[in-house]
Amino acid sequence: MSFLSQFAAETAEANSDIFTALGIDWRLLILQIVAFLILVFLLGKFVYPWLMKSVDERQANIEAASKAAANAQKAAEKNNEQVAELLAQARKEASEIVSTAKLESSEIVANSEKKAIASAEQIVAAAHDQISKDVESVKKQLHDETLELVALATGKVVGETLSKSTNNDLIARAIKESK
Amino acid sequence: MARKLSRRSLALYVADGLTPARRRTTIGQLAAYLVENRRTKELDLIVRDVAYFLSQKGTTSATVTSAFDLNAETKAAITAFIKDKTNSSQVSLDSLIDPSVIGGVKISLPGYELDQTISHKLTVLKTRFKKA
Repeated sequence: MSFLSQFAAETAEANSDIFTALGIDWRLLILQIVAFLILVFLLGKFVYPWLMKSVDERQANIEAASKAAANAQKAAEKNNEQVAELLAQARKEASEIVSTAKLESSEIVANSEKKAIASAEQIVAAAHDQISKDVESVKKQLHDETLELVALATGKVVGETLSKSTNNDLIARAIKESK
Repeated sequence: MARKLSRRSLALYVADGLTPARRRTTIGQLAAYLVENRRTKELDLIVRDVAYFLSQKGTTSATVTSAFDLNAETKAAITAFIKDKTNSSQVSLDSLIDPSVIGGVKISLPGYELDQTISHKLTVLKTRFKKA
């Protein structure tokens, strides 16, 4: 240390005029340089490695996070594509289902209309048949009743107009016909 | 206990016994037999059978149904007709007045019937022309 002080003193004497003019104490300057170097050495020996290690770790973490984020983004993009594909497929399937349903519904409606028409025709035919039968039945009933009335009226008229002598003539004729 | 006689045997016996001399006795015997054997319900059938057997023997009993009384000429025509139909020598007519026959005559003989009444003709007309 004394050597350093002596060297500084001698150097200062040689250049005292410049440093003095500038207001710099060269000995103090040297001491400060030495102290700085020591500080740099100490920092380089003990602090910087730890600091660098920490920075490196941090950087590695950041890079890993960035990589993960990139992967996640890629995965998200891939997922988005898959989702888009699924959506497109789902839309296609939905549209197919809707078109199939429309087709089926139109077929069902057509079938129902056909059935309804057939049923209505059957009902109309049955009604026609029934009406025809009823008309026939009524005609027959009317015919029979007319026959009954004619027979009754004939009986009444003949009964009122027939006399004893006419009756005897009638009997004689009937016997003659029966022989 | 007396043996149960068939209706045919009874009718034959009665038909044989209906001579003027035995008529009363035979009818009395038949009545007694039917009452004793509780067969009075068969009387109508026996009388029908007796009439049939009598007609077989030449004595026909006929029921003549008409709406009015028949005159002698008509009765004679009917008797002649019955004799002709049954080959009977004797015919007895039972006249029945039934206004429901309207006109004409119905002659009922054992096993034969001639219905020439107006009511019968009207019934035939109705039956024939009635729709099935």
